[in-house]
Amino acid sequence: MAVVPCLHLIVDGSHMSANRLTMLVASAVNGGVEAVHLRDRSLPASNLLDVVERLRQTIGRRAKVIVNDRVDVAMLAGADGVHLPERGLSPDAARRLLGPSKTIGVSIHSVGAAIRAQELGADYLFAGHIFETESKPGEPGRGLEFFREVVCSVDIPVIGIGGIDARNAGQVLDTGAHGVAVISAILDSEHPDEVSREIRDAFSNVRIERP
Amino acid sequence: MTSARENRLTRLDEALRVYVLTDRELSRGRSEVDIVRQAIAGGATAIQLRWKQPSMYEALEIARELRAICRDRDVLFVVNDRVDLAMAANADGVHVGEDDLPVAATRSLVGESMIIGYSPPTIQDAVLAELDRADYLGVGPVFGTATKSDAGEAVGTGRIAEVSRQVQIPIVGIGGINALNASEVVAAGATGVAVISAVVSQEDVSVAARELRQAVDGVRERSS
Repeated sequence: MAVVPCLHLIVDGSHMSANRLTMLVASAVNGGVEAVHLRDRSLPASNLLDVVERLRQTIGRRAKVIVNDRVDVAMLAGADGVHLPERGLSPDAARRLLGPSKTIGVSIHSVGAAIRAQELGADYLFAGHIFETESKPGEPGRGLEFFREVVCSVDIPVIGIGGIDARNAGQVLDTGAHGVAVISAILDSEHPDEVSREIRDAFSNVRIERP
Repeated sequence: MTSARENRLTRLDEALRVYVLTDRELSRGRSEVDIVRQAIAGGATAIQLRWKQPSMYEALEIARELRAICRDRDVLFVVNDRVDLAMAANADGVHVGEDDLPVAATRSLVGESMIIGYSPPTIQDAVLAELDRADYLGVGPVFGTATKSDAGEAVGTGRIAEVSRQVQIPIVGIGGINALNASEVVAAGATGVAVISAVVSQEDVSVAARELRQAVDGVRERSS
């Protein structure tokens, strides 16, 4: 099984120009982002394929390229994996299409769903959203307690998502997270590389404190 | 060497007679499984799962059920838009449109055994799709339709005739087709007709499918 990345960046190609997306992603990968997820529900599949192929060209093998939801696009674009929404195709179905070497992640919003996803062969989970976030307005975060519960109920790596930035990433990692997924803290920044680096620093701090 | 392709095309000449697309919103509260069972009982020869809801998990469960029902009755089973769903459900075919994955890319994913349908916006797209190895075309909207709000202006049976002169692969007409006008579509050169509301919205789905089947078979017998 492939190594699961720690610092994930989620981008949405429909909200910005191709050039800007490329620039942001290149900078974030320079700062230490290890996996770039393309999540775009409004983009037609053929355009999505173009965007994924462009991401691959931009970052080469310096970071993983993960396609949200669409296993077919991931296969065609030679992505490193697919990330399935909680109500997406089941991970076992995705595995049969993608084979053993690709990374398959699943978003979950309950402990039950986490256990199910693990049983169906997910390589890692996104659990959240932890803090309140602009991506999900009006929905209070599920909090760190929820996150800790998920981490304790499965053996596969759990990534925190939802309102995570350089300031609070350490709290998430302290609960046993394998890593974090970030959207606006990196994408809305003038310096995606610096923010990515700051979040990476939070990882090192946690790791130093651990026995 | 072309036997996989020949097998697909031979099957399509029969299977495209009455092609029913599902639509949950238009089915008056009845499930896809109910609608499909009744449509097949009436004589539908192909079923397309047209899934517009967010849950792909549920889509795969339903696709697997429809897959089994269609296989039992030797009816063609096609999945709309999502090639991964079609592959995961082991469907006979996948149908892609302008905004979906391109035909050539779809073929590279599904291999030779799966049927690929395509909806060409223009005649040139129809010709290119055949070169990219689409197996059949859905051409329309033949008549005005309220079902697909994004379907555009009606192209008439003239478009069916024109496309059928330009390509070798079979065509189904779609858009505003019912038992009264289906024969015109087949007479213009279509192998069969594709319908949504003319079957799934009818009180008696089975009778609706039967009437369409009779209209299509009537023209095909006269012309054969």
